[in-house]
Amino acid sequence: MSPLTSISPYLQPNGLIQFLPQTSQTKSTIPAAEIPTAPEIKPASPAGAASFSDALSNAVSEINSKQVAASNAVNGLLSGQDVSLHQAMIAMQEANVSFQLMVEVRNRLLESYQELMRMQV
Amino acid sequence: MIDFLPGVQSTTAALTAERIRMDVISQNIANANTTQGPDGQPYQRQEVVFESVLNQQIGDPSNVQPQPVQVARIQSDNRPPQMVYSPGHPNADKNGMVAMPNINIHEEMADMITSSRAFEANLAVLKNAQAMALQTLSIGRRA
Repeated sequence: MSPLTSISPYLQPNGLIQFLPQTSQTKSTIPAAEIPTAPEIKPASPAGAASFSDALSNAVSEINSKQVAASNAVNGLLSGQDVSLHQAMIAMQEANVSFQLMVEVRNRLLESYQELMRMQV
Repeated sequence: MIDFLPGVQSTTAALTAERIRMDVISQNIANANTTQGPDGQPYQRQEVVFESVLNQQIGDPSNVQPQPVQVARIQSDNRPPQMVYSPGHPNADKNGMVAMPNINIHEEMADMITSSRAFEANLAVLKNAQAMALQTLSIGRRA
C-alpha cells in the first residue's frame, strides 16, 4: 500500500547526501524553515547531512501520507461511506502531484551526482 | 500539510455544495406530480441557499484564509400549489380540484443547467490548478 516507504532508505545513504548542499542552495526561495542550513561551498558537515536527510525523509513520509489519504478516500467511496466522487478524485490528484514532486527531486539529486562523477580530476 | 494545488479547498467545498444543489433539483423534478406528502399537503418546491464559510482568524487581518462555500439551508418555496381540475383523482376536493406541487419543470431544468455549469467551472479551476503545479515541477527540466 505504501511503495514510498521502501524508497526512503535509498535516499539516505551518506554517499549521496554529501553532494546535496549544491542542490539545496538552488532552492533558496523556499522559506528558510523548510530547508536545513546548508554550508556554503565547503564539504557538508555530518550534522548538516543528517538534518537534510531528516528533511528528505520527512518529505517522503508526507508524500506517503498523501497516497494513504487518497487510497482511504477511494476505499471510503467504494464502501459507501460519506465520501463523494470529487473528493476521492481530488485526493488522488494531490497524491499524483506530490509524487511527481518527489520524482523531480530524485531526478535532480541523481543529475548532480552524475555531474560530479563525470568531473575531470 | 503541504498544499500542492492552489485553491483546492475552495473548489472542493464548491463541488460539494453544487452536488447538494443537484440533489435538491432532482428531488424537485422527481416530486413534480406528488399530490400528497407525509403531511397530507402537496410537495413544496425546495431550494438551496449558499453561504461562504467565515474561517478567518478574528482580530488578525494578516491571516486571511480562503472562504469556501457551503449550503446554509434548504428552504421551501412558498408559492401556492397549482390547482388542476381532475374530479376522479383521490386527492380532489369537493369541486374536483387537485392541488399539484408548485413546480415548474422548465424552471427546474434551467436550474439544473446553472448547477451543472457551475460544477464544470469548478472542475476547470481544478484542472488549471493541476496544470500549474505540473508545469511548475517542470522548471529546469532538460527538454
